[in-house]
Amino acid sequence: MKTPSEDHDLIRFLDGEMSNTERASFEARMAADSMLNSEVNMMQRMSADLRTHLPAEMPVPYADFFNSQIQVRIAQEVPVTLPAARSLWFDWLRIPTLATAAAAVAIGGFMIVQNQNQPAGNSIVHSIYVPNPSVQARSFHSDEAQAMVLILDGVEAMPSDRQMVSFHIQRTETDQEMATTTLFDVSGQVVAVVAKDSRNQPRLLSATPRG
Amino acid sequence: MPAFTAPESGEVSDSDLVKRCQAGDTHAFDALVNRYRGKVYAMTYHMIQNETEAWDLAQEAFIKAWRAMPNFKLDSAFYTWLYRITHNVTYDWLRKKKIQGDGEFDDSHTDHRVAAGAEAVARHEPAPDTALKNAELGARIREAIAKLSPEHKQVILLREVEGLAYEEIAEIIPCTLGTVMSRLFYARKKLQEMLKDTYENAF
Repeated sequence: MKTPSEDHDLIRFLDGEMSNTERASFEARMAADSMLNSEVNMMQRMSADLRTHLPAEMPVPYADFFNSQIQVRIAQEVPVTLPAARSLWFDWLRIPTLATAAAAVAIGGFMIVQNQNQPAGNSIVHSIYVPNPSVQARSFHSDEAQAMVLILDGVEAMPSDRQMVSFHIQRTETDQEMATTTLFDVSGQVVAVVAKDSRNQPRLLSATPRG
Repeated sequence: MPAFTAPESGEVSDSDLVKRCQAGDTHAFDALVNRYRGKVYAMTYHMIQNETEAWDLAQEAFIKAWRAMPNFKLDSAFYTWLYRITHNVTYDWLRKKKIQGDGEFDDSHTDHRVAAGAEAVARHEPAPDTALKNAELGARIREAIAKLSPEHKQVILLREVEGLAYEEIAEIIPCTLGTVMSRLFYARKKLQEMLKDTYENAF
């Protein structure tokens, strides 16, 4: 009866995993043992046939659809379960994860240094703080849009039934007594008022919808 | 060595595409899907031998890879990592299928793609020509593979089809080198038994 070690020897010989010395020794055993020799030969033929008939690469049926479905699926990836839809346009900002995005926008807004001599959109973002580590924030200036663009990765897609608006924060005012920060747009209108909640997380108190 | 697809000269490397994916670039991920979908699909297909399920599982593997991308440290080749995910997805599927009552793994649970006429050839009769003989051999090999347990199927495909080294197989499964060798031995012995008459008679 063969030992596990002998079984492993057979496998290692077939797979070319033996050293030269081990290989020479095994070949000597094969020469003396016709049954072992015949088993090795059959397994070698079988291995060659497996490789021939089981290709390592196969054409994917409907390959374009395969890719597009993956793109659709990853676009739908939602890290948290959204609560039921609400009626107010800015309620999505109250959803915890999205509040992070709001926080990033708001705090980014706080950091903006507006150069009055430059055209709108030439703001500089010195730093961005994002409380949620799963959200990545970065910014760049778009010449085409003449705006500073803030990118938030890791935030789920905005609800499709929400009307999206763009913010252009001209300046901010902080009220130390009320512990709030008010964001103003280029026309001087209030865009949003932000405070911190009991967990020290930014919370949107009020926002002005845009048509 | 493994049949990893190294990017051709001028192509963006896997690691660059991975870094772009980690920054949220879905187009970069699409490029990786293009590069590896044929291999991922081949593996899922060989494991379960059902075109529709293999297609779905291959997609699932890519989607899981996308989800796990932020945690991928590039400490192994992207394909090795993707391969591990593909195997986990497929292996889980096979085990669930077994738990759900299918029990044995035999060809009655799969829908093989067999060359026309191949199944009409009686098992012990020589095929009329080489092409048909090859088609028949291919069909019998797929039947035999389908009858293996998920554990044995896994090691035999990783070794024979993908050409992975024992260490790589052990890393993917994961298990010890001794387990890899034992499973390979028993998988080959079972295949040998199932294909014995094929080799002794027609071939």
